[in-house]
Amino acid sequence: MTAEQRAKSLSVHLVLIAYSVLAVGPILLVVMNSFKVRSAIFGSPLALPDATTFSLVGYEKVFRSSHILTYYSNSLIVTLVSMALVLLFGAMAAWALTEYRFRGSTALALFLSIGIMVPIRLGSVAILNMMRSAGLNDTLTALVLVYVAQGLPMSIFILSEFIQQIPKDLRDAARCDGVPETRIFFEVVAPLLRPAIATVAVFTIVPIWNDLWFPLILTSSDSTHTVTLGVQQFLGQYITDWNSVLAALSMAILPVVLIYVILSRQLIAGLTSGAVK
Amino acid sequence: MANLRIEHLNKRYGATTVLNDVNLDIEDGEFVVLVGPSGCGKSTLLRMIAGLDGASGGDIQIAGKLVNTLAPAERGIAMVFQSYALYPHMNVRKNMTFGLKFTGVPPAERDRRVAEAARMLRLDELLERYPRDLSGGQRQRVAIGRAIVREPAVFLFDEPLSNLDAALRVSTRVEIANLHRMLKSTIVYVTHDQVEAMTLADRIVVMNKGCIEQVGRPLDLYYAPANLFVAGFIGSPAMNFFEAKVGSVEGGCARISGPGFRSFDLPATSLKVGDSLTVGVRPEHLGRGEDGPFAVEGVVELVERLGEASFAYVRRADDRLFVAEVRGRQTPTPGERATLIAAARDVHVFDAAGLRVTTQNDA
Amino acid sequence: MPESVSNITAQMPRAKLAGLLLFFLGPAVAIYTLFSIYPLVATMALSTYTSDPSGARYFVGLANFETLLGDALWSKPFWNAFGNNLIFFAVHMCVQNPIGIALAGLLSLPGLRLKGFYRTVMFLPTMLSVVIVGFSWNLILSPLWGVASGALKAVGLGSLFAPWLGLESSALVTLSLISVWQFVGIPMMLIYAALLNIPEELIDAARVDGLGHFRIFFHIKLPLVLPTISLVSVLTFVANFNAFDLIYSVKGALAGPNFATDILGTFFYRTFFGNQLQLGNPTMGSAVATVMFFIILLGLCLYLFLVQRRVRRYAF
Repeated sequence: MTAEQRAKSLSVHLVLIAYSVLAVGPILLVVMNSFKVRSAIFGSPLALPDATTFSLVGYEKVFRSSHILTYYSNSLIVTLVSMALVLLFGAMAAWALTEYRFRGSTALALFLSIGIMVPIRLGSVAILNMMRSAGLNDTLTALVLVYVAQGLPMSIFILSEFIQQIPKDLRDAARCDGVPETRIFFEVVAPLLRPAIATVAVFTIVPIWNDLWFPLILTSSDSTHTVTLGVQQFLGQYITDWNSVLAALSMAILPVVLIYVILSRQLIAGLTSGAVK
Repeated sequence: MANLRIEHLNKRYGATTVLNDVNLDIEDGEFVVLVGPSGCGKSTLLRMIAGLDGASGGDIQIAGKLVNTLAPAERGIAMVFQSYALYPHMNVRKNMTFGLKFTGVPPAERDRRVAEAARMLRLDELLERYPRDLSGGQRQRVAIGRAIVREPAVFLFDEPLSNLDAALRVSTRVEIANLHRMLKSTIVYVTHDQVEAMTLADRIVVMNKGCIEQVGRPLDLYYAPANLFVAGFIGSPAMNFFEAKVGSVEGGCARISGPGFRSFDLPATSLKVGDSLTVGVRPEHLGRGEDGPFAVEGVVELVERLGEASFAYVRRADDRLFVAEVRGRQTPTPGERATLIAAARDVHVFDAAGLRVTTQNDA
Repeated sequence: MPESVSNITAQMPRAKLAGLLLFFLGPAVAIYTLFSIYPLVATMALSTYTSDPSGARYFVGLANFETLLGDALWSKPFWNAFGNNLIFFAVHMCVQNPIGIALAGLLSLPGLRLKGFYRTVMFLPTMLSVVIVGFSWNLILSPLWGVASGALKAVGLGSLFAPWLGLESSALVTLSLISVWQFVGIPMMLIYAALLNIPEELIDAARVDGLGHFRIFFHIKLPLVLPTISLVSVLTFVANFNAFDLIYSVKGALAGPNFATDILGTFFYRTFFGNQLQLGNPTMGSAVATVMFFIILLGLCLYLFLVQRRVRRYAF
């Protein structure tokens, strides 16, 4: 490497490091200060907590005055159930649309793709009415149904691209082998769609976990709040209690960051796999 | 084991005709190779036999039974794909038994068939491995094994060797030939490689633009191609063609002349004065000499040396190039004037429609 | 001729094909139609009704829209929200996409070390909830905490600090920049993926032709990822004109100060659910949602007919 090349590469790294600091700095700041006593939060916000400044008082408050564990389990249930259904129904529909030629298949694909671009949120008025009349308002079922409907179009789109990448010969071989069509999907195609899960997750599952709108309009009691809504309401209530606010924010941030760091390789591979261009 | 009969088979995608009135009879135990340039419809024909593509018209019979509306699995066929199409998430054993599960073969019988196929194809050691851990040649054998355990009436091969390297291709070719001898089964095999076709086939079907050009034993196609297409397709380098005309006809002999070669007499009765013809001679049948039944001269322009032979590209007086395969150590040199001759039986003559003109030389 | 769609259906009995399609497509189409398309249509239908205090509904045609766009009581906040939304979108287009493109360009430099680390870190904010991000920035920018002012002082720019989120003049742009900070990962990743798809030989050829990294980026890579950039832009458009969470969590339903940060999403929410100042009005809410639908539709049409047709896609 020549001196000039080294200088160039150094400047590239400087820019990237600077942006990285900008990207994680605020998150670190919040998480770091959530473990400190109030005086240290204001006295030296940029310092790591040490023996004298360490405190879990904010976390204690959050556990005491909110149903944070209920929120977690609600978010987990809603996200996991929605994810399972989005993947299952999405993959099945994507398979039928890519594999079978039938009259109206193009029209159906177009119909399904409306939902990619038009936000389902705009139908909220009617969704609330429907859920009310079906007795589903303030239930997790209502959230799951809406999220599945919201996630399906994008997941069908992504999964279709993945299914097209599965060699056609494989399906033909299975047909020559006498494998029934449903088994071809479940035993040959579906297992090969595993790499698509990460891509679908980024585009449909993460928004579900993070959503504020539908919990806000469809759930009204603490027992059905999700983390995002629960924390949002907690923050509004305890806005002046900095320990609690920072702790609540950190509790919303940390699980996501943890899962993200564990899965980041797959998630990013899924994003850059070329399936979404 | 079964025969296969194809009658008036047609295939159209919208306005384009992929197969046009294909008729073919394949006998029980016969090894038939479909060969032709890419896009000639050979793979489509194979997929239609398999039931993977539907026909626009015509009939397919396997073992005397009409199979037009049957699903692939009900036709008694097994197919080996170009990409092998092994299920990547199943090991070799599971790959071979997967299909049997659905066709009502009892477990004990499945195991027996897998064991037998594994022995025949030397796969015993590989049964628990996954496709990703296998070499190209091994995958190929698994794909064949998966076909064998189905005990089909007809085996279908779709360019099975084209993903292998040159050395492996030769050895696998020999294995397939041995397999056919052992199983004595009916095989339909698609390839674009004429060496595969010549070496493996009992009969070759040459296809072009959705039509069958000629069906015959390999050497018949080589020595007596039925038309210009087959003459040009079979053999490498391709046959040289010379434009020609019938000058005179006398006593069952036609005098053929044209630019670039010496006029000669052809013992054919069907020709009339003034007919336009094409004369074809294979490069390997042209040798150096002074005068012969067929003689052509020109200036050597380029010589490709292969070792066992050399290809000489020769410029004729009418400015066209032709190729001669020259054997022996004395290779021609560029710039040299050369006269090349061929025996009468090696001269092919085609009429204006491109069809072979039968002569007394053919007998 | 290999086709993407299998011809297997040609030989299948019609009843069998119908059964398969019902099995595979039924659940997805049913849920999607019932909970996505039907509510959209029903909301549009509802926008042509009005209700009296007893709750009975009357068909009023386009009267709600006349009120929304003609009655100053409604049209002023509507146009205010629309204008703010345009600014919100403009900030994203002018800041988020260029930064995303630049970061993607740097990340795709050949032989860059720590690539995976940078990607992971830079995409992290995108994974978090908008609510959490908004609130965290709210704290950081708060004069009470003093982190932002402290940071500015440290570099000698202390005098520049102001409570940006609280000022009418700067609140909207500040919120837009917070949103940009969070979502820059999406253009970065999509464009990065597109850049990776450019065959290396093409770049090598350009280097042999004597082009430097900068020129290669501007003359070769950028034109080739233009379709992705325009796709990112339309995704940004839809997301921006549908945004709500950030403003709501930082500024509440009233989108203060003095509606300076009100965008269509918060306006819709207030109209539909009501707030301290007014009662909720589902039919007017539906009218707002319908107008938002047409704004998004108009944007999509502009993209499809003007942009996408002109942007050439290259096959490698």
